[in-house]
Amino acid sequence: MITGIDDYAELADKCSHCSLCEAVCPVYLADLLETNVARARVDIINQTLCKKSMPVTRRVRDIINRCLICTSCTQSCGAAVPVHEIIITARHALYGGRRQNLFMRHFMKCMVENRGITGLPALLLLSAQKLRLAPEGFPSVKLRTFDRRYYGTYLPEGKKRAKVAYFTGCSTNTMDPDTGISVMKVLAHNGIEVVVPERLVCCGIPSLGEGDIETVQKSVRNNVNILSVLDVDAIVTDCTSCGMMLRIEAPKTLPEGDPCQAKAVRMAEKVFEVTDYLNTIGIVADPGPVDESYTYHVPCHRGWTPGMNAAPLQLLANIPGLKYKAMEEPEKCCGAGGSFFLDYTDLARKIRKRKAEDIANSGARVVISQCPGCRSYLSPVLGKGQEIVHPITMLLRSYRY
Amino acid sequence: MKSKYQHSNALSKDLISLLGKEKVKAEPEDLLAYSSDATRYFAQGMPDAVILPTEISDISKVLKYATAYEIPVTPRGAGSGLSGGATPIKGGIVLDMKRMNHILDINKGNMTARVESGVVLANFHRAVERQRLFYPPDPQSMDVCTLGGNVACRAGGPHCVKYGTTPNYVLGLEAVLPDGSVINTGGISIKQSTGYNITQLLTGSEGTLAVITKINLRLIPLPAARKTAIIVCDSPQLASELVSRIIYDGTVPAVLEYVSASAIMLMNSFNPIPVTMDGKAYLFIELDGSPAVILEDSEEIKRTCLEMKAREVKIFEDPEQAALIWKTRRKYSPLLLRVMKRAVLEDISVPRDKFPEMVKAVEEIGASLGIPTSISGHAGDGNVHPAVLYPEVTPEMEKKAEEAVRLIIRKGLDLGGTISGEHGIGLHKSQFMEMEFGQEQIALLKRIKYAFDPGGIMNPGKIWPETGA
Repeated sequence: MITGIDDYAELADKCSHCSLCEAVCPVYLADLLETNVARARVDIINQTLCKKSMPVTRRVRDIINRCLICTSCTQSCGAAVPVHEIIITARHALYGGRRQNLFMRHFMKCMVENRGITGLPALLLLSAQKLRLAPEGFPSVKLRTFDRRYYGTYLPEGKKRAKVAYFTGCSTNTMDPDTGISVMKVLAHNGIEVVVPERLVCCGIPSLGEGDIETVQKSVRNNVNILSVLDVDAIVTDCTSCGMMLRIEAPKTLPEGDPCQAKAVRMAEKVFEVTDYLNTIGIVADPGPVDESYTYHVPCHRGWTPGMNAAPLQLLANIPGLKYKAMEEPEKCCGAGGSFFLDYTDLARKIRKRKAEDIANSGARVVISQCPGCRSYLSPVLGKGQEIVHPITMLLRSYRY
Repeated sequence: MKSKYQHSNALSKDLISLLGKEKVKAEPEDLLAYSSDATRYFAQGMPDAVILPTEISDISKVLKYATAYEIPVTPRGAGSGLSGGATPIKGGIVLDMKRMNHILDINKGNMTARVESGVVLANFHRAVERQRLFYPPDPQSMDVCTLGGNVACRAGGPHCVKYGTTPNYVLGLEAVLPDGSVINTGGISIKQSTGYNITQLLTGSEGTLAVITKINLRLIPLPAARKTAIIVCDSPQLASELVSRIIYDGTVPAVLEYVSASAIMLMNSFNPIPVTMDGKAYLFIELDGSPAVILEDSEEIKRTCLEMKAREVKIFEDPEQAALIWKTRRKYSPLLLRVMKRAVLEDISVPRDKFPEMVKAVEEIGASLGIPTSISGHAGDGNVHPAVLYPEVTPEMEKKAEEAVRLIIRKGLDLGGTISGEHGIGLHKSQFMEMEFGQEQIALLKRIKYAFDPGGIMNPGKIWPETGA
């Protein structure tokens, strides 16, 4: 379980200082300063917060904040140092869940509880966006949210092949319900019965990034209690970050021995990203031809099931006529990092600029990505006539709905 | 004047006035970040300031200043070295070269390239391969390490069995001497026979003579195809005998790596390696060339191996699968830390025919001292990387490990080998230099050093141990 920062001293010491994290850290690659790479961050946290041999200065706080929690360093670490967990725990130790200002904290609280931006905050955001006062790259919201349209059980078309629960995160629910609707249609079209559970809240990953463990636990408990009792074959999500939270992080956020923790472990085994799930059980509805080219921006919160990284390409390979054009370094981060782009605007844009160049050089018209954060942050830098969508949207188009 | 660098505030103020604020970092957090390379367990030293130059004049200014005030200067690439060479043990200034990262020219006609020394090796590989050219050196840290660091330490890598190490490709250098003057050595001509070979003297000088700022490199045509194979053997002896035999029979693989049973199991836990895990030793092979040659070579190797009673020869047709195998191989040394508390990576290079004896000796040394070892190595060129492993870090373990390293090095020298094949000497092996070089040669090294760096500011304390006088 993610607990006190002191517990991480031994794990931090495991770092071999090989420096291979320099190859993957988007912040380091933009800054080209070793102080901002995982190897040094872990050392600095170890010396200031665990061993207390150095004072916690403003600079230390900046180093700990200047991280996207993209987890690329953790994923690539040979010595298995859980770098992102150490940074999250350091944020918890430094801020106790109050890293952001009061306004942002309130905004996030509303978002966590309502699974996205709804009600008054939604109206405020829409007006701000109309007046061009909202931050660039921030997603727009829809007043008719996904959970107002879909709840309960939806029967499949044709013979029932499986039954899944669909977890919609905050983004799909309030900012991009169309993706949610696409998922519902594609699943039904492929003989899958879908349960859309009610009273779910945010998966918890934004609060986790803040180091706000108490809020994370509240979210996890609420969702686990709902999801773990469902009689379904799988729990699918369109969002790779929600999925990683449910499958990998959720069980770690609760103490061992907690009855809910055991339930979280059982629930986690059923969680799949939707394209990965569709590949596993196979699609039965034949896609029609689509004369189009696409490239794939791989979300940072990837690889939490073995088949996931190749899943969208494998699924879309079923569509006749659709051409895949790989971009350079498809796993390179886009710079959004949840709310990171609001705190470090220039740095995030610098990271995004490189991604935009790679997308342009691919020569594809459509970009696919399963992360709603990437989709909204990359939208403003796409070329004329280009669009960025969830892979499921592409599949649905081939079904000519 | 002399003690100016001991007042780090005064130092960074001076440096800021020389270079501007953006290029000078001197907060405690920065100093910690730059206090070691990949041998942190062995040594750490806090610098007084970190400089991030972007042009050659920055370096000239810093070196002139450092010479005037006798401030140590440690040039640094990625800080991924395995010798402690970039560890600023005397404090002073660290010169982080990674912002000088432009590939200035790739000349297809002459098959050469000119780069700034902070270019990351893997980026350079990609750039030249896009033009169907090939730069073979490939140290396992190639995703991060810089060409400047590679030249300074004579980096090697798996492909060097067929293609040779970094020095074989260095044609010329631009470097800043400690007095701030700039020299251009060698050139871009493939053949050179002009005076002392300063290019090759700076190559391998580990930042003790000058700061390398630009490099001219020779390139070769990119092989049309590649194929990966793994040979499973029932004994380490058989695996190492096969190494000599395969090459003697006329096939020089592009890569010929020895992987011990414990090493492959560790790699397998990170990414599945699709071969049986109950072999006693493995050879990882890459063949390159035209598809017809590869086919012929792979059949020849298969025949030889099976004739000599290798258990299995598995050839991987899928390039993605092959790429994953090599990527996992590159993670081997940090992977050791998943099961051990510490890993000391050695770098002995012996004549190829002595490879079996060296492998056997390492195992015996480990067993007799009761300390775990794990062997991997670029067997094709006789370069052994024995890892001395600590299940726990205790003073007793440290003593045993020290003894193991000493015995391994002694054995390597007795077999006619050298104490470093591709990592360099740095701090980690300086105490063994005299065993190999002898007093007279060390004295000569010191005179050469004095000719370049009379003030002794360049990366002090490296290559040979400092003695009282």
